[in-house]
Amino acid sequence: MIALADPLPERVRRGASGIVGTIVILLAWELAARALAGAYILAAPSDVVVHILQNSDLIWRALRETLGNATLGYVLGNLAAIGLAGAALAWPRAEPVVAGLALLVFCLPLVATGPILRVLYGPGPGPQITLAALAVYYTTFVPLLVGLRAAPASWFELLRSYGRGRLAELVHIRARASLPYLFAGLQIAAPAAFLGAMVGEFTGAERGLGLLAIRAIRALDIAGIWALASISAAVSILIYTAVGWLSRAVLRDPPPMILAPPALPRTGHAQGLAATVMRTAFVLAMALLLWWGAMTTFDLNPFFAKRPDDVWVALFTATDARETRETLAGALGETVVFLLPGFAGGLALGAGLAILLTLAPALTPSATLIAVALRSVPILTTAPLIVLLLGRGAAGTITLVAVMVFFPTFVACLHGLRQAPGQILDVFSTYAAGPFARLWHVQVPVMLPAFFAAARMSVPASVLAVTVVEWLATGRGIGSLMALSASLSDYDMLWSSVVIVSVLSALGYAGIGWVERRVLTVFASEQVAR
Amino acid sequence: MAYFKPNRRTVLAAGTASAASAVLGLSAPRARATTPVSLQLSWLHSVQFAGSYIARARGWWAEDGLDVSLLQGGPNAPVEPPVVSGSALVGISAADYTAAAVEQGAPFRILGVAMQKNPFVIASLLANPVREPADLSGKKIGMALANMPVLQALCTLNGVDVEAIEVVPTQYSAQPLLAGEVDCLLCWETDLPVAMAMEGIESVTMLMADYGYAVHSQTYIATEESLTERRDQLVALMSGEVRGWEAYRADTDAAAALTLEAYPDAGLDLKTQKLQAARQVPLMFSELTDEHGFGWWTDQTVEANIETLALLGRKVSPALWDRSILEEVHGG
Repeated sequence: MIALADPLPERVRRGASGIVGTIVILLAWELAARALAGAYILAAPSDVVVHILQNSDLIWRALRETLGNATLGYVLGNLAAIGLAGAALAWPRAEPVVAGLALLVFCLPLVATGPILRVLYGPGPGPQITLAALAVYYTTFVPLLVGLRAAPASWFELLRSYGRGRLAELVHIRARASLPYLFAGLQIAAPAAFLGAMVGEFTGAERGLGLLAIRAIRALDIAGIWALASISAAVSILIYTAVGWLSRAVLRDPPPMILAPPALPRTGHAQGLAATVMRTAFVLAMALLLWWGAMTTFDLNPFFAKRPDDVWVALFTATDARETRETLAGALGETVVFLLPGFAGGLALGAGLAILLTLAPALTPSATLIAVALRSVPILTTAPLIVLLLGRGAAGTITLVAVMVFFPTFVACLHGLRQAPGQILDVFSTYAAGPFARLWHVQVPVMLPAFFAAARMSVPASVLAVTVVEWLATGRGIGSLMALSASLSDYDMLWSSVVIVSVLSALGYAGIGWVERRVLTVFASEQVAR
Repeated sequence: MAYFKPNRRTVLAAGTASAASAVLGLSAPRARATTPVSLQLSWLHSVQFAGSYIARARGWWAEDGLDVSLLQGGPNAPVEPPVVSGSALVGISAADYTAAAVEQGAPFRILGVAMQKNPFVIASLLANPVREPADLSGKKIGMALANMPVLQALCTLNGVDVEAIEVVPTQYSAQPLLAGEVDCLLCWETDLPVAMAMEGIESVTMLMADYGYAVHSQTYIATEESLTERRDQLVALMSGEVRGWEAYRADTDAAAALTLEAYPDAGLDLKTQKLQAARQVPLMFSELTDEHGFGWWTDQTVEANIETLALLGRKVSPALWDRSILEEVHGG
């Protein structure tokens, strides 16, 4: 029986599949570029290599700058995420507030924050580093919070029987349980930090890859555009792979079998509702206080840094308040039409691909390569290609949003699926259950907490994505309204849009959370227990 | 009178003194306390701002006691916030954006006008050209939707039905035109047409300023507060700008070379910059500036601006333009 003999170790087979996949991708790319020659859309890999070699000095200097800022942002953002998650855990009552404020800060659109950061920092890399950090902290924070709870109840009981407290719990159980989820966050963050640093350069940076990208697009320098896109994709893939190696080196323990008692039913529905309202009101009050306090502390000029009361006046008491509300509602309507299908499509694709790869693991390296590349190539570069393939209508925008949602979902689900405990899989093997049965009864239920974490963090990410697409490519909806308002100094409208976008994200987040609690009460009660 | 008899020692002393003063004279601008100020540019570094680079490179600002930082703009770097908050003394804006900011309460004044003619053009290809506004009828135009008021104003000024033009919202690139997705583009005379020319593609550009679209562009703005309290600095800054741009006009190739030298990390191409530098000259210099000097305007040009701005939905008073700084520069 040849099939029983293991012809090649797993690692070699995977490596070979990755190399073959890369070659196939490069070939397809070269052929597509040859077919599209003359349309000024896609440069062939051969042209890209020539361009990089010819401009190696310039590109190297720009890469060093952008990578340096992205790395600093990556480290700071992830440290912030770890700090926030630790705080939320150490003081459970504060968790809704920390999570709520973290969400709202992540929702802030670049169009609003960029100019403020530039005024605060002056010339230099400050805004680029900050925007890179802002782009990553949330996608690490959310999975980490899930991971900190992903431990069997028996472990906690054991610890308590020794009379140890919360700190020991954190060090001995939660920190270790959270590692797989932390690594998922760190992998998701790699392309986001790089892209964040590049977009940060749009605020008036003196050098960097983002700057060269703007220049290349205006100059019709197609080889230049794709050279920059390839470099940002390659760097993101390298960081992603490095974090992957690290996680495999660190995560030696097999995933635990998590048995947890069912979550206690809430004591009375009315009390639960009142508590939710109270919590929401408190988060809102903190957010307003933080908003007002930050602007006042930094003494930001009210011409462009509008306070909560300015937005209130603009939306409700000013003479043109009605007009403002109608403009906002119109733009919001245009945006939501693209947002919802893009969000749903991205989630389905991400989870679907992760599941598919569990059934056909040999495809994982090539598929991951494409996934990281898709996420890390700036929208500015891919927008014309997607417009060519799908048109400027709904399909193009929805696809671009789906791409942004797809990646974090895919990575989180991939990590989630790996948390299937070996004991249970062994039981299934004993009964000769097929891969589908294993998937349906073990791996998918185990993946659910990670999937919902991905869905929650994708809410603000998809809103940001749609506004960036609207700003840079389609010129419609609330993203375009914000850009237009900024260029016309209509900062009342800009900040009103910021508020609307944040409320939209918060509502979506709460909606997903509602579904999540109901599903996880059944499948992962350790996540729901308080 | 042995006192006045020059001997070897006094000659030597005098020589040393003059040599010393020559050394001091050279280093005087640096040795004297210079005031750091910032000029916020409206876009990425390029020959678009080469007059400023010349002023800095030749030390004209330093002579007047200014140490000017040139802050780069970008897609997400509006000019108004740094000028309002005082982190930039002067910003490069345009009359329409300045008017909008003033409506929102910004205390701005226009001190000088670098682009006498607005750089907006309709760019098309030779095979299907737009040479005058009437040609726009039935065409597909690629532009940012944000510029809709601009197209509407052009149509109103020339009696063209704007409904007869199909607007396609595109990103700011010549690619949709070359791919045949649109027939023409709304863009600047000095960027996308230059990019096409460098690719060997000849384009037709219809300058909107030649068809009644009078909006001062690349205008110098400052706050009213700076105009009263930092007057000397404004005069010094504008004086350097005027000298810089006159030197630019004298040799645009040298200006392009200086731009590349000053910003090696900006990814600029010398040939492109030379072409852009040359195409910018007719927009910046006119009979008016020949007579009165760089940056000038008259009551008539302001009136034409106010009329076009009204079509863009902006109500402006002539008091937005303050010529006192330029008068001091050109008078003194």
